[in-house]
Amino acid sequence: MTLLIEDLDTVVRALRTVLSDEQILTGRADRYNRARVPAPFPVHRWAERLPDVVVLPTSTEQVAAVVTIANDLRVPVVPRDGGTGLTDGAVPLRGGILIDVKRMNEIHELDLVNRTVTVGTGISMLKLNEHLAAYGLFYPDNPASYPCSLVGGRIGTSGWSLIGARYGHTRDLVLSFDHVLPTGEVMHVGDGIGRKVSKSSSGYQLKHLFMGHQGTLGIATRATLKLFPKPEAELSPFWSFDNYDDAYACTGALARAGVATFAGAVLFDEHKVAYLRRDDEAYIPQPTDVRALVCAVMYGWDDEVRAGGKRLFRIAKEHGARYLGDEISEGDWAARHDRYATPLHGRTKDGQVVPMSWHCEDAAINYSDVPSVTRAWHGIVADLRRRTDVFDDWGMFAYTSGSTGVDYLTEIDVGIWEQQLDDRAWGMWVDAKRNIARVALDHGGSISACHGSCREGEVDLVPEELGRGFEVMLDIKRTLDPHNIMNPGKYHLDRAYENPAYPEDD
Amino acid sequence: MAFRYDEQMQPPEPRRVSDVAITTHEHVYEVDPRLMERWVLQQEFPNWDSLRIMNARGDHLAWMHAHFASSVVTGSELLAEVDAEDAGSPDAVWDAATTSLSPD
Repeated sequence: MTLLIEDLDTVVRALRTVLSDEQILTGRADRYNRARVPAPFPVHRWAERLPDVVVLPTSTEQVAAVVTIANDLRVPVVPRDGGTGLTDGAVPLRGGILIDVKRMNEIHELDLVNRTVTVGTGISMLKLNEHLAAYGLFYPDNPASYPCSLVGGRIGTSGWSLIGARYGHTRDLVLSFDHVLPTGEVMHVGDGIGRKVSKSSSGYQLKHLFMGHQGTLGIATRATLKLFPKPEAELSPFWSFDNYDDAYACTGALARAGVATFAGAVLFDEHKVAYLRRDDEAYIPQPTDVRALVCAVMYGWDDEVRAGGKRLFRIAKEHGARYLGDEISEGDWAARHDRYATPLHGRTKDGQVVPMSWHCEDAAINYSDVPSVTRAWHGIVADLRRRTDVFDDWGMFAYTSGSTGVDYLTEIDVGIWEQQLDDRAWGMWVDAKRNIARVALDHGGSISACHGSCREGEVDLVPEELGRGFEVMLDIKRTLDPHNIMNPGKYHLDRAYENPAYPEDD
Repeated sequence: MAFRYDEQMQPPEPRRVSDVAITTHEHVYEVDPRLMERWVLQQEFPNWDSLRIMNARGDHLAWMHAHFASSVVTGSELLAEVDAEDAGSPDAVWDAATTSLSPD
């Protein structure tokens, strides 16, 4: 809590003029449950991340009214959707009002003719697709957090989709949305002013600006989404290799094949396979010459998936792949979201099982640089592990981002023994995160393809990555949020103000 | 209730499958108990619960398939077709498209 009690009373009194009592939560459990995201952090500092009050609006008008109050009273506002992000976008760093959008989960309009749906941003993709299935339609935004992340969070983080090589990522799938600015004004943003337009050349392209800002430029409240036919068929072969290099070559060839139903390929490196051998029922019994894996995924009509699938099988065969069988191939793909739902554990250096939380650091890396980045990142995590059992290397994935194989969401999964994550270990982790980001930039990549880059460590390199663009970010922030109330403390945006706590004195 | 306790709590004799894992029921794998002696202790599960968890996982995976697509194409069918074509026509492997895709 960062507000004085008397100030909190003032805020709550003001909120009661626009919300009902049951939409305003001040209890400890309500606030503690909205203080963190899955990414491990030093839990002894949990109290530093508490909002002062949580609100549950049900409409754009209510969100706008709350933000207007916050702006008038100079109280921080933090938007929170599913709270599944890994870069602390939904974590309050300065207390204030947390706006939880989960009650804005209505389906406002389903347009079967133009193939769009307009929803409240508090709806999850899973629930939306359950509804759309009755119409033979499908909204193909598919993060690992698919069962629990929400459309609004996907907009605020400009999310990455596991099947984005086929259907595009969140930025491609969201046509337009209503957005509450930090001053409480409501804006509709899309291509041009279109609500259902996928391409416009009218004016600046503002849609992308208001995606991926991690809640620092406002809150999306209602979105119009592009829909596809629900796929008739799915194919997800997993192949094994006795060495990483062949698996890497195969992944590139699959991605470059130009097969229209290709939805993505995933490369598992040797460390990932070694990790799976410890605990995953599919890989414990695998022979020792299974050292790297490749998965490819296809969606579409049955006939086109079969034709394209044969082409991919032939490519895999030419690269020395061994098909792992139908059970593993189908089961492991269907289990792709389970990291958000299962308890995890790691190992101390002497092999004992310890409870660990999952974290992954990601970057956008060109195909040609994936092996070099892989080696460098493992070196960074190995150095951590040499110094403490708090960290465990769980291996790396490289996922195709686009249909041509130009770049890959490259991620290293790290188990973190959160209960042992004291200030010293946290400092080591922050340094490691910064080093991981450094490797990405040194290879011509971007610090993040998926999560965002506003967490301690990697955020320090964002000004370097964006160059003059970072100064433009500061200018935009200062213009749209003159009092620095919208999710303050993120992305070093305090630099937009001479006195970030009291910007009106600037 | 003792006879029922034994019946429910005694899984099949464990069989080692790797340096770090054992198996009991078919398709049920567990961490080697020697690795769960210090920080996390192994729990006793009733047989019915182990099997329930395993079967529920199968249900979950089937649900996820049906959620994303109406049917699943089995890779083994396609691989059999590719192998048959290759056996019938060795040159088929090296059609123009795939040749150009070979890396390095």
